Order: sequence, then C-alpha cells, then structure tokens
Amino acid sequence: MFAFFLESAFIGALIWGEKRLGPRYHFLAAAAVATGSWLSGFFILVTNAFMQHPAGYEVQPDGSLGLVSASAYLLNPWALVQFLHNQMAALVTGSFVVTAIGAFYTLRKLHPTQARLYLRAGTLTALIASVLVAFPTGDQQAKMVGRYQPVTLAGMEGRFEGGRDAGVAVIGQPDVAERRLDNPVEVPGALSFLAYGTFQSFVHGLDEYPPEDWPDNLELLYYSFHIMITLGTIFIVIMSYAAFRRWRGRLETSTWFLWVLMLALPLPYIANTLGWMTSELGRQPWLVYGLFHTRDGYSKVVSGGDTIFTLIGFAGLYFVLGVLFLLLTGRQIDRGPDGEAQLQVGGEESFV
Amino acid sequence: MIATWYAIVSLMLVLYVVLDGRNFGAGMLQRFVARTPDERRQVIAAIGPLWSWHEVWLVGFGGTLVAVFPRLMASAFAGYYLALMLILWGLILRGVSIEVRGQIDDPLWRGFWDFLFAFSNFLLAILFGAAAGNQVRGVPLDAHGNFSMAFFTDFMARGHVGLLDWYTLSVAVFTVMVLAAHGATYLTLKTEGAVHDRCAKWARHLWMAVVPLFVAISVESWKVRPGLADYAMNRPFCWMGLLLVIAAVCAVVSGITKGEERRAFFGSNLFLVGLLVTGSAVFFPVMLYSTLAPENSLTAYSAAAGSKSLFLASFWWPAGLVLATIYFVFISRRYAGKVSVARDNQGYY
Repeated sequence: MFAFFLESAFIGALIWGEKRLGPRYHFLAAAAVATGSWLSGFFILVTNAFMQHPAGYEVQPDGSLGLVSASAYLLNPWALVQFLHNQMAALVTGSFVVTAIGAFYTLRKLHPTQARLYLRAGTLTALIASVLVAFPTGDQQAKMVGRYQPVTLAGMEGRFEGGRDAGVAVIGQPDVAERRLDNPVEVPGALSFLAYGTFQSFVHGLDEYPPEDWPDNLELLYYSFHIMITLGTIFIVIMSYAAFRRWRGRLETSTWFLWVLMLALPLPYIANTLGWMTSELGRQPWLVYGLFHTRDGYSKVVSGGDTIFTLIGFAGLYFVLGVLFLLLTGRQIDRGPDGEAQLQVGGEESFV
Repeated sequence: MIATWYAIVSLMLVLYVVLDGRNFGAGMLQRFVARTPDERRQVIAAIGPLWSWHEVWLVGFGGTLVAVFPRLMASAFAGYYLALMLILWGLILRGVSIEVRGQIDDPLWRGFWDFLFAFSNFLLAILFGAAAGNQVRGVPLDAHGNFSMAFFTDFMARGHVGLLDWYTLSVAVFTVMVLAAHGATYLTLKTEGAVHDRCAKWARHLWMAVVPLFVAISVESWKVRPGLADYAMNRPFCWMGLLLVIAAVCAVVSGITKGEERRAFFGSNLFLVGLLVTGSAVFFPVMLYSTLAPENSLTAYSAAAGSKSLFLASFWWPAGLVLATIYFVFISRRYAGKVSVARDNQGYY
C-alpha cells in the first residue's frame, strides 16, 4: 500500500515538477517512481501468489482465513518466482518497444543517432530479457506449477493420461470430449525432464483427477500456454538473429529484418496477456488454491445483469483509453526524440 | 484495539476528504472561475502536481478497511456494487482528463477534456455525497449481513430504501456545495489575478449557502436516524467535533471578510474535519446500519478481522504512515505558495 503512495506521489512530482524540484530532486523522484512501481508490482503479485499457493495463513474457528505470518506471506516462494518472471516479461515488452521505434526511425531515415542507440540497446536488452524470461524464471514457474498444481500442469500440456517419459506437444489440439490430443507432434521425454528433472519422471495426467477438479476451460488454458511459449521462443530467435547481424555489423542495413523488428511490437503484449490467462485459468476451479472454490466466492447479492453492465462499461472505457494511448503515443513517436522529453504514464501498470 | 482501528480508518477518510476535496471543488468550479485558456491552466496547475497523491488516500482508506474490517467490505462492496463502479469510472475519467488535456494544443481537444473533468468531478461529489447519506440513513441489511439496493425505490428513507432518496439526495447537494466552497477557498489561496477574484466571490457565496444547509442536514439526519441526538449529547468526541465545526465557521467567516486567505482555507479544512469527526463518533460502533431491523446492523466488533491479523497490521500500518507523512511534509513545502503559469508552465497542462 505504501508503495502505491510512493509511486503515485512521485509520478506527480516527476511529471509536473521538473522546474520546481530542480534536476537533483527530479532524478530522485524518477528513482522513487521506479522503486514504487517495483514495490507495488511485487505486492500485487504477492496477493496473486497467495491465491495460487497460500502461505502464512491460518484457518480461524469461524472458517475465515487470517494472516498470521507476514514474512511467510511476503516471502512466498511462488511470489518470488512469479515476480521475477513478470518483471522479465515487462523488460521484454519495454525493450521490444524501444527496438520497434528504433527500427521505425531507421526505415524512415529519421533521427539516425537515436535510432542506432534504440536499435542496439533495444535488441541487446531484448535478447537478455527473452532468455531470462524463459530460463530460469519461466522454467522455475512451470516447475512450481508441476509441484503444487499438478492438475494445472496436465491441463496446460493437454495431458489426459499420466505416465513416465512424458513428451511436450509442439503441435496438437486438445479434444476434451474424447479426452485426447488430436494429431500431436511431441518431443519425447521433454515434459518429464522440464518439470521434474529426469526424462523418466512420472508426470501426472488429468485422468488421475476427478473432472470437477480440472481447470474449467481446458482448451483456452492449453492454447494460452502454448502460444505464450511459442511467442517466447520466437522472441529468442528474433533477438539472437539481431545479435548475429549486429556482430557482423549489418543490423541497420537489412530492410526486411527492420520490418520484422518493427512489427514484433505487439507480440510481447500478447504473450503477457496469455501468460496471465495461463496463470488465472490454470488456478480454476479454485479462487484460493486448495482452500476456496470460485463457485463459493462470488457475491450472491450482485446480479448477473449488474456485472454484465459493468463489464461492458469497462470494455468500452478501456477501448477508448486504448485508442487514446495509441493516438498519443503515436504522436509522440512522430514528434521524435528531440522534442521536450515526455513520459508515457501508466504503460507499466497495464500488464501487472 | 478495535476502537483504535475504527479511529484510524476514520482518520484516513478525513485525510482523503480534506486533501482530495479541494480537487473536487476546483474541478467543479474550473469552468466558472476560469474563462481563458491561460486561466484554465492556472486552475489545473493549482491542483496538478498533487492530485494523484491525494487520491491515493482513498486507496489507503479502502485497503485499511479491507484489512481490518473484512466483514464490512464483503457486505458493502457487494451492496454498493453499481455505485462503487460509477465512482471508479468517475475517478478514471477525472484522472485521464487531467493528464490528457495538455497533450494536444487544440481548443476543441482541451475544451472536451475540461468539460469531462468538470463533469466527472460533479458526478463524484454527488456519488460520495449520496454514499455519505446512505451511511447515515442505513441500508437494507438482512439477517445475514447482506444487502442489495436499487438506485431508487420510492424516495422514502425507511424500510426497503434505494441508493437515492430525498435524504441522500439532499446530502449529495450539500456535499457538492461544501466541496465547491472548499475548492473555491483553496483556489483563492493558490491563484492570482482574475481567477483569484472570481474564486473569492464564489467562496463567499458558497459558504453563505453551506452554513444554513449544514443546519438543515443536521435536522434531517436527526429525523432519519433514530437515536442520533442521544449519542450526540453523551459522547465527548461529538462535542469536540461540533466545536470544531463552529470554530471552523468562525475562521472561514473572518478569513473571507478580512481577506486572510490562509485562515479561510484553514477554517475550510477544519470544517470538513469537524463534520467527519462528529459523524464517526456519533455512529460508533455501528458501521453499517440496517433500515430493516437495527439488530442486523454491522458493528466494528462484528466486522473486524481476527486478533492476530489486527496485531500484524498494527506494526505495518504505523510504519507506512510515518513514511507517508515525512514525504507529505517534504512535498507540500516544495509546492507551497501561489502558482504562476509563467513559471510552472511546462506544456503538460
């Protein structure tokens, strides 16, 4: 909560106060905004991690949950892994944006000095971040799911039957009615190895659990996870190739590759969204994993019509804000880096 | 312990209303006190740097309520669902319009966001006022501590009430007036030139309307909520609150007539503090009063979290507050004094 204070207060100070605060305090304010964003991101993820893997609580006599250990709650291992994975994803997103703007300026032959800087710093950061988001953070996250939510992992991978030497489906469509994966192309043993460390490890299948404990929307969970993984792989490939071209000194000369870098801009946003969908769909049917079912958690007095009304309202509002964001960011990019430096407020917030 | 937490939550609400109230007031009055683009900018600059910091106290208030009185939140968040969503949308629109208006230098663009800014401030003042009215009048809580309300029913303040009735509407009007008066007093202190003169005039007129309205609302509340007068007589905190209100009115009147802007603004803050202290003290320990049957009401004791959670919270909360206060003192000093478009204009507003 305090992190929220810090962040919002200093964002105000940062944007409005350049002249009043003087350069030294202005830099301090910028540092405080960054710290505040990290902290509030961490606290949000601690809350989410509690829902995924409760820690530091106690069931009280009347059946409600009470927090008894702040340290266990804050240092929940799930939260640490999830936070790092999330922050790396944020870094991927940011560096892809910088790269895309650099590619755009290069293609348009605008602002050559800055374009070079953006391209070089952007692709290098993006390569490091894309690797880190997959390994170790994404890898650890999946291992955590395998350990604490085996049924979720089975759903994410579309494994209807448990067994040793489990493969990872590169292609394949889950058929829930028939309980099988249609036309799968599998890497044998890969899932056993990734989740539990050896190719012979036993990976649980959905058949070991009653269907009411399965994630509710298996297909969506499966596709979210697989598209996220695919995009993550594509990020590493694109940025490795960028590093290769840079090593050969030809990063800025290839028109087609600059186009690829520019058009890759929305992909991290999609991957982030799918990552959250994997996380939240995978948790179903639990609101707090193992303790509290989603079907027991909804409010009995808020009618379905009310929620649909507000859902449509939010969708409309967010659509307008999205258009506004694109318009203003586009203008800013068009104006170029020479104009007075302005901030894009709220960019980071949208994927936390 | 629970009484202390009740006081802490009340304190956070007081801070929020006092701090963000000036922004509501200034937002509602912007169209009336500022005519040219430069004047509009002056008003925005007066509230600009700190508005989001003020708004965070609402988050703090809500967060503390959730942590300390989870039963209350379970009931009230569901019962007030639509109203809360409207408040949320209002807050979003207000924040967006203040940040976005300066991005494109075009009279239509700015005019649109200025209008939206004023509109969302009016909407928020009305909704917060109606919410306060609902707290005084009570809500149709059933025996399980749940309630759901239509926007309005028969406009009577008894039994199966709606969000809006004659009483809550009058409180909403009162809230709009009080916050506008507060904002006008604040702007008088912070601005110069034509805006300053118009604000001073608005402040004078608004305060002249607020004082009789306050008396009228007090009488109404006494009619709507049974037993109110007894509590008010017997509790020292209520007396203190009422004394604060009276002292505040004196400070405002003398401040405005003598042109002592600081004193007037101090009085204006004090007025809000006194109002909310009286309100919190008079209702304790009832946090959500039932219009159906008084025994269904949620009290601070029945709504509080377990003692271990409260124990933990009593370590974390003061630490956060100390940091927030240090920062507050630092930043207020930095932004003290009148705003000037020439000095502060960076093209952001």
